[in-house]
Amino acid sequence: MSAPAAVKEGAGRAKRGPLISGWGSLAVPLLVLLTLAFLVPMFLIIVRSVTDPVDVGLGNYVTFFTNEADMRVLGNTFYIAVICTVACLAVGYPYAYLMAIVPQRVAGIMLVFVLVPFWSSLLVRTFAWEVILRDTGIINTLLLNLKVITEPLPLIRNTFAVILGMSQILLPFMVLPLYSVMQRIDPELTRAAANLGAGPFAAFRRVFVPLSFPGVTAGCLLVFVLALGFYITPTILGSARETMISRFIADQVQVRVNWGLASAMAVILMVLTFVVLAVASRFVKLRDVYGALGES
Amino acid sequence: MQIRSRSIAALFVVSAISGACGSSATPAPTAAPTAAPTAAVTAAPTDAATAAPSAAYTDAAFCTKPPSAAGQSLTVVSYGGAYQAAQDKAWFQPYAAATGITITQSQDSANATIKSQVESGQVSWDLVDVGNDFGLDANANLLEPIDYSLVPKDQILPGFAATYRVAAITYGIVMAYRSDKFAGAVPQSWADFFDTTKFPGKRGLYDYSTGGVLEIALLADGVAPKDLYPLDVPRALKKLDTIKDSIVWWSSGAKSQEQIGAGEVTMSMMWNGRAWSAKHVDSKPVEIQWNQQLMVADYWVVPKGTPNKAAAMQMLGWMSCANNNGAVSKYITYGPPNKFAAVDPTNKPDLAVSNINDTTVTVNDQYLVTNASQLDELYNAWKTK
Repeated sequence: MSAPAAVKEGAGRAKRGPLISGWGSLAVPLLVLLTLAFLVPMFLIIVRSVTDPVDVGLGNYVTFFTNEADMRVLGNTFYIAVICTVACLAVGYPYAYLMAIVPQRVAGIMLVFVLVPFWSSLLVRTFAWEVILRDTGIINTLLLNLKVITEPLPLIRNTFAVILGMSQILLPFMVLPLYSVMQRIDPELTRAAANLGAGPFAAFRRVFVPLSFPGVTAGCLLVFVLALGFYITPTILGSARETMISRFIADQVQVRVNWGLASAMAVILMVLTFVVLAVASRFVKLRDVYGALGES
Repeated sequence: MQIRSRSIAALFVVSAISGACGSSATPAPTAAPTAAPTAAVTAAPTDAATAAPSAAYTDAAFCTKPPSAAGQSLTVVSYGGAYQAAQDKAWFQPYAAATGITITQSQDSANATIKSQVESGQVSWDLVDVGNDFGLDANANLLEPIDYSLVPKDQILPGFAATYRVAAITYGIVMAYRSDKFAGAVPQSWADFFDTTKFPGKRGLYDYSTGGVLEIALLADGVAPKDLYPLDVPRALKKLDTIKDSIVWWSSGAKSQEQIGAGEVTMSMMWNGRAWSAKHVDSKPVEIQWNQQLMVADYWVVPKGTPNKAAAMQMLGWMSCANNNGAVSKYITYGPPNKFAAVDPTNKPDLAVSNINDTTVTVNDQYLVTNASQLDELYNAWKTK
């Protein structure tokens, strides 16, 4: 964001020399912060993954890739992140669409509904889900007392509960980018399509949906990447089968104090995330371009 | 424009820094008197120890009237909550009053923090309460050896004083059960814990391979306490598999207490202090079965390179004295590692050390620490399947 701005400023005042000046200089603290707080530690983690313990070489990576539980949990992590992204899109898309077509005032209220949970702590929300879902929770106690059921429903300690809890936390990251794109789609375009003979559904599917793709891409990537880092929610709402890789990383850091292995695990997660993102964004962007061309 | 943008940035920096300082600075209880004759006082105990190695703790005065440490300060770190509050009342406050030392407390003990402090050379913790998985020879590079001229090793229960650590409190990993769920039947052993037909309901278990879960599975399967180590992990996991769908894992003491209190589980492996709190603090129908309890301890360690090593060792020696060691039991049901220490008469029946019998197992920390990665590998493979 800030880099192009800085370049533009510099280009406009080429005679005065400095690459970054004026408003561009506002980006400097962030760049410094990112370098110190992100790039340097990331580099140190990569170094540690091959030097702790001394002479370990790629040993930590071998340990990880030959460990049954680690591989399974890595698979879980991506599986849960994908399901979560799909769930958020399924719920978030209609919601954002509704926000885009209702009057501004109503959209504002709908926005607050999305944001209110966003402002409360992840832990609080996860524990709230636990209180609602567990065997002695609100739903099961109510149904048991009403004699609708005789045994508690299995609402917690399974994939369902994890997806439910994570999706609720991640939903704003889907709805906000979707809404910001949808709100800028000219309603005249769908009307024009209708004029040209498209039914309401065809107009929506062939005009509105393709135009909303940038929002879909942004929302999905945000939710997916954030979901990969979850571990408290799956630990509380899931069973051991829903364990995610960050939990294992945290255990190695805090409990086993085995930072070499923890670093290797973090690097693996990061690299795999980059790979998935690179593949996915390429794929989605191509579709995006085709969609835009096809409709214009 | 430039000036304005700079001043905004400067404001950010300033507020960030002051914010950070505000949150990290722990208020010191008293300002240290700067004029106190520090040097002379600091030297005293160490010199005495060097001159006559056995003098310090055998000298009754050291335990009742410890040498003044006025002007010095110590940062003592434990786990917060009711536990640290008890330690504060039993040890920290009285010791500060007796010696004039300034004790700053932190409540976020973590093995990882000790490691990062020592590795970065910025050691600000002097005396740290850690769990039983830390402080053995595996961590020698992070810790100072305990000064056993000040700490009465021969009075500590066997196995609870090692080169780099000495026990702070002893506790039991016990079977806690809901007395309202089994129509009066009382579970007698870990075998009953695994019998979900006779004792229906879910089971709370501590979610770490080295937290005692493998031990109780083997005890339930009929392994004698003396044959427990080395652990037969496949056998333990096979036993655990019989109740896998009934397990509700917990990973903090507070969580275990809440689970059994809410009735989400009808039985749980718990730290005895937490089970006691479920009954006496939360007023829930929770009882303890002491048979086959696993005896464990929390330990004091001194991070390597602390500038206050001498003061830390002196305080450690004082807390380990028979007359001081049991004081915590007045405020929480955790017992003293010093076998001659007096305990609080009211809480005495609820201490792990008061319930030692021939079924009691002492957890073999050395075995667990040495084999942690193999135990983790097998246990995690089973658990996540």
